[in-house]
Amino acid sequence: MSSPPSLDVLQGYLRLVSDRQQMIVANMANVDTPGYHTKDIDFKSALRQVMNSGGDAQLEPASLELPGLPERPDGNNVNIDREGLMLSQTQLQFQLGVQLVKGQFSQLLTAIKEG
Amino acid sequence: MSNVSLGAIPNAYLPEPAALDPGSDGNGLDFGAVLKNAVNNVDQINASAGAQVSNLLQGGGGDMTSVMIAVEKADVSFQLMMQVRNKIVSAYQDIEKMQF
Amino acid sequence: MGMFDMMQISASALSAERQRAEVTSANLANAETTHTDQGGPYVRKEVVFTATSGSLFHSALNSVGGLAQTPAGSVRMTDVVDDPTPAIQRYEPGNPDADSSGYVSYPAINPVTEMVDLMGSLRAYQLNASAVSAEKQMIQESIGILKPS
Repeated sequence: MSSPPSLDVLQGYLRLVSDRQQMIVANMANVDTPGYHTKDIDFKSALRQVMNSGGDAQLEPASLELPGLPERPDGNNVNIDREGLMLSQTQLQFQLGVQLVKGQFSQLLTAIKEG
Repeated sequence: MSNVSLGAIPNAYLPEPAALDPGSDGNGLDFGAVLKNAVNNVDQINASAGAQVSNLLQGGGGDMTSVMIAVEKADVSFQLMMQVRNKIVSAYQDIEKMQF
Repeated sequence: MGMFDMMQISASALSAERQRAEVTSANLANAETTHTDQGGPYVRKEVVFTATSGSLFHSALNSVGGLAQTPAGSVRMTDVVDDPTPAIQRYEPGNPDADSSGYVSYPAINPVTEMVDLMGSLRAYQLNASAVSAEKQMIQESIGILKPS
């Protein structure tokens, strides 16, 4: 992709990151709930969809259960360390998205004022 | 935001309003149409942003980021329109100064 | 859904973990209580957490009623149950709570277990508190889009 992502794509990206954050927050809240399984979204493919459709999709990514996590005796498989890591990661991704959005607006305003 | 009324500029050198109509003849100045379009556009974008903000404030499960982006878009559109208006007014003033 | 719902979810976890800590502390405090108002030794209590079910995402149903609804993914303490483990019997014939054979019933509470539970509550509490910080920051970032950059 040679041109910087459009505002619509960025909006879709931010939405996705925010959705992922919701899953992580719910996982963290249920770290002690018996039987609760870690949930996540397929971020990569959802993001690809957003970029291909130019940010148009009213996307509702499917919440899937993350495989491969060991279960504790009460049936809960939430890993505190993983969730902590993912929280930091999505935070940074969100910041990145917002910065890019601000950059777009700043460019537009510059073009308008000096055009 | 109401339409800027170009007829408010009192000056005998202003072209007839009919000449502003893009449909009258191919060489007519479309300034009026251009400005009208710009204003309508901004109106729409503003209204949409306003509705989203309302929804968010009332606690509707809105996506806050989208609302922020919509509001900023409205602001940028408004600024663009102001610039367009400024250019048009300044173009008119230039035309006025022309001595025939 | 959105960012405010996320804060509600984390807040629910903070509340639930605090309640769990309270129950664990009561267990610890009463590890040697041989006599209660209900007669018999103190019975160890356990908490039961349940997650609010539902789709975690934006759906028409979720936005109706706005913030008043409990967002899916929230956790709450739904029950405090008695531990069915039988009481520990210790031979203390001089104790006023001793039965006819001189045995006193003590609560089946192991302070080490309770401490581990308490630390677990604390860790979960800290985790969700950091989630709240992260959520607050995200909201502020969003608002920052409007400021002149």
